[in-house]
Amino acid sequence: MSESNHENDHERIERARNGEADDASALVGDGLTLSYSTSERPVVECDRIDIPRGEITALVGPNGSGKSTLLKALSKQLAPDTGRVLLDGRAVHEYDDKEFARELGLLSQENESPGSITVEELVYHGRYPHRGFFEQVGEADHRAVERAIELAGVDHLREQTVGNLSGGQKQLAWIAMVLAQDTDVLLLDEPTTYLDLHHQLRVMETVQQLNERRGVTVAVVLHDIAQAARFADYLVALQDGEVYDWGPPREVVTEELLADVFRVEAAVSYTPDPEIVPKHSL
Amino acid sequence: MAGDARTNRLGGARLFDWVDATLVSVCLVSVGLVVLGGLVQVSFGTYTMTLEQAWRAVLDPIVLFDPHWLLNFFVGEGLMRTLTGFEGTLTELPTTTLVVWNIRLPRVLVGILVGANLAVSGAIFQAVTRNELASPYILGVSSGAGLAILLTLVVFSGLAPFLPLIAAGGGAVAFLIVYGIAWQNGTSPVRLVLAGVIVSTIFQSLQTGLFFFANDLAVVQSAIAWTTGSLTGVDWQQVRLALPSTTLAVALAVLGARQLNVLLLGEQTARSLGMSVERTRFLLSGVAILAASAAIAVAGIVGFVGLIVPHVVRNLVGSDYKRLVVGCLFVGPALMVLADVGARLAMAPTQIPVGIVTGLVGGPYFLYLMRRQQNLGDV
Repeated sequence: MSESNHENDHERIERARNGEADDASALVGDGLTLSYSTSERPVVECDRIDIPRGEITALVGPNGSGKSTLLKALSKQLAPDTGRVLLDGRAVHEYDDKEFARELGLLSQENESPGSITVEELVYHGRYPHRGFFEQVGEADHRAVERAIELAGVDHLREQTVGNLSGGQKQLAWIAMVLAQDTDVLLLDEPTTYLDLHHQLRVMETVQQLNERRGVTVAVVLHDIAQAARFADYLVALQDGEVYDWGPPREVVTEELLADVFRVEAAVSYTPDPEIVPKHSL
Repeated sequence: MAGDARTNRLGGARLFDWVDATLVSVCLVSVGLVVLGGLVQVSFGTYTMTLEQAWRAVLDPIVLFDPHWLLNFFVGEGLMRTLTGFEGTLTELPTTTLVVWNIRLPRVLVGILVGANLAVSGAIFQAVTRNELASPYILGVSSGAGLAILLTLVVFSGLAPFLPLIAAGGGAVAFLIVYGIAWQNGTSPVRLVLAGVIVSTIFQSLQTGLFFFANDLAVVQSAIAWTTGSLTGVDWQQVRLALPSTTLAVALAVLGARQLNVLLLGEQTARSLGMSVERTRFLLSGVAILAASAAIAVAGIVGFVGLIVPHVVRNLVGSDYKRLVVGCLFVGPALMVLADVGARLAMAPTQIPVGIVTGLVGGPYFLYLMRRQQNLGDV
């Protein structure tokens, strides 16, 4: 996406936020109040959040700012107390479970699987929403799985059992599984946390390719704000369960944001990649 | 051997591409053990015959090629006559054939059905609770069935003819209670298991309490036989009782294997893949209860089979539930039939409940597994 296009989208979404009908957003959270049964106060109170269609949007914010909770609500895993989530303009609770899973894929922060299944078997599970109860694996399933394995770059691992993989390889295998789900929207919850640099880049590049080649809308929770600024088309900065700022990285990642949201005094420069250098130790 | 299966997977026949060499050998060995155990069962007893005689009797063409005789055994004489409109008398059978087919073979068949039911039921519960230590009885089923048995024998002795059905029903009711207690905007494996433990404890106390009101040694012995699990005295009636629900439960378990596999990926992943986790969990539990009930109705509460067999099979064929369920269908009967050989013949002429044998064999094997495996408990 070119810079001017961004501006256009930005304007269109701004218009949509003002109530004018628009389909620039694949996913919209409207007037959301989110809480868990164990918490007294709402974790997230957010008037409006847009995930622009065909772009990579990064959700950033300090620990406990409600990023993952928001992602759960957007992916229909958590029912909001108030407000609603719209996918392609239709409320998510109106979708049938499998139908929804064909439109939107989610990779959670922590994934567990039996250690003895192979990577290929894991990836085939991604086809679950596309298959009826009695349906066997079909040609479309094979193609989707092959494509996902190729895109995630786990071809050399396909015969390995998941239990024998390193953390980074495991994450790529799981990403291959959500890719096999073949959705137009993909939500990822901290996919790079705990990974070494090599695997972090592999994961983010996979996401980027998916976005570029297949036009998949991506929303990803990231811890590393520099990484977010580098890979994402849009940033949503959250603070205490509210949207602090929203827009292209260059507009959002400012020294003011770092000070307000992350409580870090740092210098921000673009060379052209964003660089964030703390001014002094905490 | 795994390689062959994989190549095959990419090629044609996809319906059975999950079958691999290990699974086939597991099934063949199990069939061999069932046949061997079955032959020993049918040849020894008060009327002893050689293995060869027994073999001939089992394969007696008079029975095997006469649909009237076969139906007579499998669906009962009344239904056979209605179905075939047969009015005459059945061909006379030689004594060995009569002994084998009338008395000894049904016990082997019931053993096979019970073993398959318990193993499949255990395998399902282990996936539903995501706990490798789960058994068909984990969610209160055994204590519910036990209490129902004691109540029937001690308090409502008039209902004794319906004991098998009441026992199975007691198990199912206990399961529903457990599910109700565990439900709080949905269930979780941990809450299910905890509720199961609590309900079991209460029912067990009631059950033990009821023993004090039994005024007759025969009633107590009968109660013990039911609550430890026994195949003594089973005949074709038990085969007919268990066969329909076993067939149904097994078919549903095989069909549900993919759902079980997805459940193993964790609740959140299963849900994000579009599974209605709660509904699937409940329905699969229902299938497991159906299987366990079929076993309880004919053999009482046979312990350890449902815990051990899925374990053994998982160690052999991996945790893919398609393979696991099929493996359980073969290994379960093998264990059950062999254990019943011990129960019937080890202390002859006294027969001990088969549940005691499965406990004596299963317990130590489980301890061995525990010591050998580091991460026991995760599916």
